[in-house]
Amino acid sequence: MNIFAVLLRKEIKELLTRQLVISIAAMIFVFYVIGKSVGSHSRASGASNSIVVMDLDRSELSARLLKAMGGGKTPIKPSAFTDIAPAMAAPEHAAENSFLVIPVGLARSVEEGRPSRLEFYSRFRKDASGMGPAMAASRIRKVSALAAAEASAYALERKAPGLPPAFLRDPAPAEEYVVIDGRTEKVPLGQVVGFIQSQSYFFPIAVFFIVILSAQMIMTAVATEKENKTLETLLSSPVDRRLLVLSKLTASSIIAAALSVAYMLGMRSFMGGITGAAESASASAAAAGPALAKLGLVITTQGYLVIGLSVLFCILCALSMAFILGILSEDVKSIQAMLMPLMMPLMISYLMPIFIDLSTAGWGIKALLYAIPFTHAFMAPQNVMMGNFARAGWGIAYQAAVFAVFVTLAARLFSGDALLTLRLRLPGARKKAAAQ
Amino acid sequence: MDALKISGLVKKYGDFEAVAGLDFSVREGEIFALVGPNGVGKSTTLKMISTILTPTAGAISVFGLDTVRDAHAVRGMISYLPEEAGAYKNLSGHEYLDFMAMVFLRDSRKAAEAAAYGARLSGLGPRLGDKIKTYSKGMARKLLLARAVMIRPRLAILDEPTSGLDIVNGYEIRKTIKELAAGGMTFLISSHNMTEIEFLSGRIGVINKGRLLACAAPAALKAQFSTEDLEEVFVRLTQ
Repeated sequence: MNIFAVLLRKEIKELLTRQLVISIAAMIFVFYVIGKSVGSHSRASGASNSIVVMDLDRSELSARLLKAMGGGKTPIKPSAFTDIAPAMAAPEHAAENSFLVIPVGLARSVEEGRPSRLEFYSRFRKDASGMGPAMAASRIRKVSALAAAEASAYALERKAPGLPPAFLRDPAPAEEYVVIDGRTEKVPLGQVVGFIQSQSYFFPIAVFFIVILSAQMIMTAVATEKENKTLETLLSSPVDRRLLVLSKLTASSIIAAALSVAYMLGMRSFMGGITGAAESASASAAAAGPALAKLGLVITTQGYLVIGLSVLFCILCALSMAFILGILSEDVKSIQAMLMPLMMPLMISYLMPIFIDLSTAGWGIKALLYAIPFTHAFMAPQNVMMGNFARAGWGIAYQAAVFAVFVTLAARLFSGDALLTLRLRLPGARKKAAAQ
Repeated sequence: MDALKISGLVKKYGDFEAVAGLDFSVREGEIFALVGPNGVGKSTTLKMISTILTPTAGAISVFGLDTVRDAHAVRGMISYLPEEAGAYKNLSGHEYLDFMAMVFLRDSRKAAEAAAYGARLSGLGPRLGDKIKTYSKGMARKLLLARAVMIRPRLAILDEPTSGLDIVNGYEIRKTIKELAAGGMTFLISSHNMTEIEFLSGRIGVINKGRLLACAAPAALKAQFSTEDLEEVFVRLTQ
């Protein structure tokens, strides 16, 4: 059997422990359960959270308002109370949080051209938590918009008979055009932004996790071998030391990729349960599909290949850096602290592009971010979607160069005395340890 | 031909001199013991012979090959058992022996034979099918010693081969070493157990502060210091 395959198999066996598999399965299960339970809770609370309406006007307009509001997804519950305070205190409305008062004389005011008011009351409970208040606010916004449109139509029918209210409300509606790389398409901006976000939403999280997981694994693998002195046995064997380095890098990458897929599955079911994001994103993309395709916002096989290469080199860069940090680690316990030099640039390259537009950022920020090899992987999907293949290609070339430098350094450290003697700790302790 | 020849060996860590000019040689088929107090450079010397560390000055030759210049070829002739070495805990004993045999011999047929020999030497029987993390310290050490000699190295370098073992396990390991040496294998052993050293070794090298203080057969050393106790020889030499 090929010696590399022998080494790789051993590395994978050492990394893929039963505890690891169980913890990953538990993580997926927890994500799934949280997603499902939050989703069902939201649906249940949405059904019970209707709007209590006190119609004090009892006019044609108020009847039309109730009908229009009832056409939405929010249930309308008419109430016989005439004042808001006793209505809120009433036991039958104890579970309700949203109230609407249609005042006396609303229809007459509208007909005479005098302003009136629709009063919406939202009850916040002291122990309110989770997404309940946000969902209540969203309901009120939707219902008040429906009521406003109906009241406007009522007024227009009386003041400008013969003209359709929809035309009068918006006689020159806006048309949105999006321009990408010289190509112009009539498509709502929100759909384009939503599509781009839906394509890149999970991606940086997945890359982030792959990098952290694989870095931790390889550091643990190196530090454990040092601590257990199994490394000394391997180093005295007639195996090319570059193969030892390569087998550890490969095994960590394989396990990290498998764990990331597992993580993504769990995360997807979690997010799907809460927001239905996956479904709505795909529906939105399907609706705007032809326009998005004409804008070039479709990732082709070639595009996926470029993104994949960028991610691969991002992981390899992180692994080669982590390998060196593992060599420098005092023992397995010190790995968390030793991970910091890798975490810092990773966090910067992950978070800064979210808040800063790199196309308009200053040279200092650009230089900092593009010097970090991970940034190129986080930016790869956007570059590919926007047709910036050259930028993505240069990014990959830079990542490959960084990887070559670090893996050469790692191999040199692995081949020399430094592997056993170099470690980050107080100088006074080194002499004592060296003589052991 | 000498199995091992060390000339003017020096190893420095910064300003600290761990080995300060060491000279000795080991004949083929001999069991040579390197003894000395803690922290005087024994393990550093063994690591340099094993090609894991590079000498600052001086030379080491193993069967005529230089450990720096011909490191790869030297690694094909030696086997090193570090002090308090561990094994891969998630592998079974069999998997560990198979893996190590393949790493050292690079040939499936030879590796299979060596692993079978190692399994017999270890004396662990059916427990070889269990994961190493379930082994006692004695079982793990027997497995590691079997690993070190199963590939039939020309020079076996054993750092504290019986440290931490009970009397029975220690006795079995010493017996195995004796038998293998009788078959022509050369041993370089570091130990603090003077009884073990006297039982095993043809010659002893006593070192202190990185320098060789004496090098002779146990009987010759005892005669030189007019005592029947090898420990007394050790104490008088190193204090």
